[in-house]
Amino acid sequence: MPEEIVVEVKDLVKAYGDVKAVKGISFNIAKGEVFGMLGPNGAGKSTTVEIIEGLRRADSGSATVLGINISKDTKTVKERIGVQSQSPALFPDLQVKELINFFRSLYKKSVLTSQIIDLASLQESRDILFRNLSGGQQQRLSVALAFVNDPEIIVLDEPTTGLDPQARRAMWEVIENFRNSGKTVLLTTHYMEEAQRLCDRIAIMDYGKIIALSSPQQLIESNIKENAIQFKMKEYPGDQVLASLPDVTKVIKAGDDIVIYTSNIPTAIAGLLGLASQRSTELSELSVRQATLEDVFLKLTGKRIRD
Amino acid sequence: MRAFIAVFVARYKQFVRNRGALFFSFLFPIIFILLFGWAFQNMNTQTFKVGLSDEGSPRTTSYITQGLESVVIQTNLKEFKTQSGNLADLLSALKNGSLDAVIVIPNGMDTLSPGQSGNIQVYYDASLMENQQTLIPAIYQVINAIDQQLGGYTPFISVQQKSVQSHQLRYIDFLLPGVLGMTLMFIGVQGGLPIIQQRQAHIIKRLGSTPLPRSMLVLGDVVFRIIVVLLSAALIILVGRLVFNVRMVGNWLSLCGIVLLGSLVLVNLGYVIAAFVKTQESAMPIVQIVDLPMMILSGTFFPIGSMPAFIEPLVKILPLTYLNDALRQIMVAGTPLYSMTTDIAVLAAWAVVTLAVTIRFFRWD
Repeated sequence: MPEEIVVEVKDLVKAYGDVKAVKGISFNIAKGEVFGMLGPNGAGKSTTVEIIEGLRRADSGSATVLGINISKDTKTVKERIGVQSQSPALFPDLQVKELINFFRSLYKKSVLTSQIIDLASLQESRDILFRNLSGGQQQRLSVALAFVNDPEIIVLDEPTTGLDPQARRAMWEVIENFRNSGKTVLLTTHYMEEAQRLCDRIAIMDYGKIIALSSPQQLIESNIKENAIQFKMKEYPGDQVLASLPDVTKVIKAGDDIVIYTSNIPTAIAGLLGLASQRSTELSELSVRQATLEDVFLKLTGKRIRD
Repeated sequence: MRAFIAVFVARYKQFVRNRGALFFSFLFPIIFILLFGWAFQNMNTQTFKVGLSDEGSPRTTSYITQGLESVVIQTNLKEFKTQSGNLADLLSALKNGSLDAVIVIPNGMDTLSPGQSGNIQVYYDASLMENQQTLIPAIYQVINAIDQQLGGYTPFISVQQKSVQSHQLRYIDFLLPGVLGMTLMFIGVQGGLPIIQQRQAHIIKRLGSTPLPRSMLVLGDVVFRIIVVLLSAALIILVGRLVFNVRMVGNWLSLCGIVLLGSLVLVNLGYVIAAFVKTQESAMPIVQIVDLPMMILSGTFFPIGSMPAFIEPLVKILPLTYLNDALRQIMVAGTPLYSMTTDIAVLAAWAVVTLAVTIRFFRWD
């Protein structure tokens, strides 16, 4: 069965004055997949997402959502997609249930107020003013409101930023349940773990361009065949020295963290320990792991995502 | 329609939960009216002006004149000033408020003999408390004294009271339309603040991703504020009537028309501020920079004529000057709309200019 394309982005370009935020990107999202956009702040994720939502107009290129060109019939698209904006931006002086009812009445079709309250886990706070909710509660409500019109696609811009780990996991379940009901998710994030766990495919963005697009597993396998050894070292011996250790293929230093990649863990570790004792310098927080998206990102851009 | 109601209800709930907005829309004008109304209660009424119409009895008239002019009502420091003239002129002066009472001394009073009686008529506005308490008793005393001096035991002068509705302008009558204009300004200009706040907090952007049209957002906001304006105006007029007996003399429809035209200008002015100011922090002082000079210079509390000459050009361009004048003319003098074309033309020009500036420069994000 050929997969149904629900979002089609072609050669999208958007500039703010002299600053080119999006420099000609193209991708498709298939029905039922969770598509992630990963990248540091300023990479152009939010701009791309806002064009798809109908909030901004592209300078050139096109975005087609559910078969409708977004610049031609914004209103129909808005009826059928659910959106959560980056910051939890809602009327501060309205209660939780009032906010939900407000958003329900903006759409032709909507789900029950209680469903949104359950999604946001705010059963105890339905009468609380938005301004008096905690940051996490505000964020949960903001994301839950994306479901208010029973949408076919939800677009979530950094849905778990500002949530504690427990709430983040709960939010992941919400997103997975939505996907399991056959619907489509587009999300942006700068959490590697989130992208790796949730996304069927990921577009890594940097400086307004997509620099890699694939499933998380493929991204890792095609970019990094080695394992990663991560540690901190009191006196940094320099890239050259570490790279010359046996079987080490690449060295990346990001802040205090040093990552070396190797296809032969025992030899690399032996070499590293030898170097440390030879130089009498302290080695700490040593861990050996499979390469992750973080490593892919480091390799592709030379920087950590949250810097 | 559902979306409009939703925006309207959301606006209403936020409004009633915002103490500052409630205060400036309803409580502040009432405090102003009560404070200024009581503080200046006796302004303009230091002297009772009495007109005397001599219909052929010069001697009695001069007795009454002398009698009234010699009266000093110690407790209130009030005194009488008299003037004479023909009845028609005096009565019209009474009606427009430049006289407090008119006494008519009929022909033949000078030559009354004992046993006969003459009939002196006193016209005054019975609806004013001041008259009932001070003016009329004082006139009675003077006339009684003359009566006793002239005659014996049977009084031969009787006094007949005639009621006339006058439009005596007290300070509170002047103040009330000004406070109304000032309140329209507060509600209008400060209405720019929630828009700036919602834009700054990305709420407007969030709403932009829903099917809600922006025109509906503006419509809900403007209709809501018009209702606040009308309620506030009704409250101000009601308090003026109940506490100070201020009467709305003019046509209610004309008043509504001017209130709406003025509100249009001032609401637009709020949007103009929102077009140029990006953050709420900087908007607050700018709203005050707009509000305060207008409040002081536009004849809200004192007649514009009492301002120094160098301020006059500024006074003459402020929209509130014309709004206050129009409101005052309708409420105090009952002037019909077609006799205040200058006020209406200037306000309409302001409405057009502010609307054009808003359309040109206002940004949603």
